[in-house]
Amino acid sequence: MESILALIARHGYSIIFFAVMAESLGLPVPAALAMIAGGALAASGMLSVGWVMAICVTAMIMADSLIYYFGRTMGWWLLALLCKVSLNPETCVLRSAESFYKRGRTTLVIAKFIPGVATMAAPLAGSMKMRPGQFLIYDLAGALLYALVYVGMGYVFHNFLSVLMHGFEAAGHLAVLITAVAAVVYIGYRIRTYLKNRIYREVPRTAIEDLRRKLDSGGDRVMLVDVRSHGYYDAEAHRIQGSVRLEPNNLAEKLHDLPKDREIYLYCT
Amino acid sequence: MREATSARVAHLLREQGYNAFVITGGLAAWRKAGGPTEIVPVDDLVLLPTFS
Repeated sequence: MESILALIARHGYSIIFFAVMAESLGLPVPAALAMIAGGALAASGMLSVGWVMAICVTAMIMADSLIYYFGRTMGWWLLALLCKVSLNPETCVLRSAESFYKRGRTTLVIAKFIPGVATMAAPLAGSMKMRPGQFLIYDLAGALLYALVYVGMGYVFHNFLSVLMHGFEAAGHLAVLITAVAAVVYIGYRIRTYLKNRIYREVPRTAIEDLRRKLDSGGDRVMLVDVRSHGYYDAEAHRIQGSVRLEPNNLAEKLHDLPKDREIYLYCT
Repeated sequence: MREATSARVAHLLREQGYNAFVITGGLAAWRKAGGPTEIVPVDDLVLLPTFS
């Protein structure tokens, strides 16, 4: 742990900058540690507290603006992706969107303190087309709060720094353990899904060329059905011409609308 | 697994007696082959809240 302190003392601002930026982009970097160290070094006169704060806030705003812009251009893609592992993706997307809509502004301010939410808040604000000016204000508030807490902690408690560092080290180990367990559970879940999906491979498939030939020669006995669980959230979304939507998570209710005397061709992304 | 959703739905439909198929490669392959697409009608869109 002393080596991190020595490193920060030598390369100071740039290390803090990149650590904070990397964390804001979602990389598993303990930026809080870098900020505490920065605060402690400022207290002992090796760095300037004003510059440490400014660098932390700038790094966060830059990273957050980048992923905000990503969310703005990619639409609901990110939320749909994150909800893909949930039991009911459609509900997950709707609920998350509504909850963020209600609490979005507050979420942006405190998101940095909540693992998992931290990296999602900015791109979600983008997906929901929060105005750039508004986004910047709330993100700035969030960044200031986050930096103030940790840089301040380092500054005030610099005498207890080694104690604090050990605490963080322990927390870090715990986080690694939790991540590892989560990874194992997820892999197990994927393997189970894979095995479960084996029966689905026996379903007959049609090549695009064959289908188009069929459509060209009077496709009135053909029905094209879009079963994507997302792709219906963005205006200007596209689908195959003449297809209808079948929401795959509410199959039972919608089944009766389908004709039994026609060939039904299904597609997803 | 590719075409996971369509395969799952097709399997279910077949069990219920529907004549269902999976389009190989899905929408991406359709686009690549130059197949015609349309903009999803506004009525079909699932509207999520936005700040603007």
